[in-house]
Amino acid sequence: MSSISGLVAVLLTVLQWAGRGLPSPVRPICDPRVLDRFIMEARDTETALRGCKAGCGVTGTFVVPLTNVDFVVLETKDTEEQALEVQSGLFLFGQALGAVRESVSRAAVKSLIDNNKSNIHSLGQVLRSLHIKDLSLSPVPAVGDSATRKVSSLSELLRVHTNFLRGKVRLLLTNAPACQQNST
Amino acid sequence: KKMTNDNLNKLLVFCVLFCAQKTSIVHGAQALETKVALLLHAEPENPKCFAEGMSDLTCFWEEDEERAGSADQYSFIYTYQNENSSECSITALPAAGGKRLYFCRLSQTQLFVPLDIRVFRDDLLIHNRSLFIEAVFLLDPPANLTLTSTGMQGQLKASWLPPSLKYMGDSMMYEVSYAMAGSHIGKVEEVQASSELILRGLQSGTKYKVRIRVKLDGISYSGYWSAWTDPVLMETMPGDLDPLIVSLSLIISLVLTLLSLLVLMSHRRFLLKKIWPIIPTPESKFQGLFKVYGGDFQEWLGHSTGGLWLRPTYFYSEEFPVPLEVLSEVSLGPALPSSALPPKASEALGEEEDEDKKLKRVDPALMEGWRKTPQEHWTMDQLRAIHQHPAPWTQSSLLESHDAYVTLNAQNHSVEEPLDDILEETLPLQVLFASGRTSSESRSDLGSVQQSSGSGRLSSQSSFEYPNHTWPSKGPGYTYMAVADSGVSMDYSPMSSNKIDDIGKGVIYTNEYKNEIPAHRRPIGTPIHFAF
Repeated sequence: MSSISGLVAVLLTVLQWAGRGLPSPVRPICDPRVLDRFIMEARDTETALRGCKAGCGVTGTFVVPLTNVDFVVLETKDTEEQALEVQSGLFLFGQALGAVRESVSRAAVKSLIDNNKSNIHSLGQVLRSLHIKDLSLSPVPAVGDSATRKVSSLSELLRVHTNFLRGKVRLLLTNAPACQQNST
Repeated sequence: KKMTNDNLNKLLVFCVLFCAQKTSIVHGAQALETKVALLLHAEPENPKCFAEGMSDLTCFWEEDEERAGSADQYSFIYTYQNENSSECSITALPAAGGKRLYFCRLSQTQLFVPLDIRVFRDDLLIHNRSLFIEAVFLLDPPANLTLTSTGMQGQLKASWLPPSLKYMGDSMMYEVSYAMAGSHIGKVEEVQASSELILRGLQSGTKYKVRIRVKLDGISYSGYWSAWTDPVLMETMPGDLDPLIVSLSLIISLVLTLLSLLVLMSHRRFLLKKIWPIIPTPESKFQGLFKVYGGDFQEWLGHSTGGLWLRPTYFYSEEFPVPLEVLSEVSLGPALPSSALPPKASEALGEEEDEDKKLKRVDPALMEGWRKTPQEHWTMDQLRAIHQHPAPWTQSSLLESHDAYVTLNAQNHSVEEPLDDILEETLPLQVLFASGRTSSESRSDLGSVQQSSGSGRLSSQSSFEYPNHTWPSKGPGYTYMAVADSGVSMDYSPMSSNKIDDIGKGVIYTNEYKNEIPAHRRPIGTPIHFAF
């Protein structure tokens, strides 16, 4: 199991490294329906696994970012700060979902988790398209521990994941300067 | 005075501001009232909370007047996830139906995090709720709903002003309800993230009532349906004539017109007769009676030659029955090898029958025999035989045979003078043969012939014509039959005793007449009616 997981991690790292080496897409992805789809899939996953008995066999704690959005405060933040928050949060979610996938035994659950993980990866590409530096792979906690918290169940993890996508990620994409020029 | 003026000004300004605020307050109060009513209906949980903007939250609950306490008896505690609790100040307001409402309003909120709300009354928890603020939006209805015409039949364009919420423009969902004015049955159309909608399929020239409400789409933000806007009325464009109906009616009218024209044209004679009856006139039966003789019947009868000549053939034939008989006598000469003759011709010549029948039979028979050129050989012999035996060819027979010529030349000579005519008429034939021979023997006898040659006799004309020209002699084998009349009857021309020699040589001229009267010789107005 560990060898396989290690292999998978290596593969993913290699792919992501290769992906990072690729030039960023020229056209910014500003369509809100892209993120909407990710949000809906995350919500569906959350709904599907809410009734999981014994947390689907998932144990342990996961570090997740904070999802709260204060519009008044948001107005004061610039795009880079928001981007940093988003990317670090995505990173954390990636990590957590990866850990969840390892501890889950049922194939159906695994596929759902995999789907969400791929969505997070796609979001990184979307951010790159908006000329936002992709820091999701960097393990550096860009915003300190105050911006994170711990969860201990799969359902809560998924709920936080959904809220994060709906809130901070969406606002970042909506406010992205690249999209502001196109939409107006 | 200055002080009072200033004070008055300040008072005035204050009053204006107050009034304006009051108006807005009144409006706000009205809006709140509707929202409260909506939520009381739509939300089962307590407290009922809704967000109107990006950073606010209004919560309320209802209590009966009898059991209601004062506002300070209650406490509203709210806690964001991973944060400390906070308290919200409560306001109490009277409501309809003996109820009391308690309100709590937050002015700074956090979205996308769970919010715990707890309501205590005298330290007793009465309400407990956890919610996401971004999920309880209750917006104001869209403003400035206007209806315009699109310029097309059965269409109206509805446009409105979306609620001015930042970051949420593309998450808004609208519902447009439209119905005919006065009707309760209407249709609903949904549209997302738009500020206008074209309503189609409407009736022309009808007044429609349109209203709209808004809600967040539920992906990132969600909430309750807003209140309906006040209905806006607009009449659709008046209906045009359906082009299909117009074209069909045009085609049908065209078809009907054509049919009526056809009927009219097919019955035009009948209709003309009815409208403009033709006065019958007997002119057609009495030709020349009116035009030439001015209706004088006696005179018309007196000029019977012309008239007789102009009579129809059947009538004419009744007058002159004799010639046929004569012809038959001539042809019955003993030296005549009748068997050698064409059977039909012999039949025609040898039989003594009624003139009418003979006439009728002669015509086609003679014509046939005349045409049958292959029989020229034996015909030639027969004729030679005939010529060598001129005995049968008596003068009387000649004379009689000349009656036939009389018939022909009746146009210029009166009937009472047949003999003269006969004699004269025989002359052309004599001349005919004489010219062929270029002998002057008969010329002396035919001195008078020259005179008659100028006559406008149809048959003689043709015979006169040809002497100066070469007959279309086709060789010695051909027999030329001089025809006394227009060519209908076949006349064995060697009637003249003088010209037997010529005939014997085979100079028999067929009157290849065929109605070929030279135009200049033909008398004007003379119809080509060859009476027989």
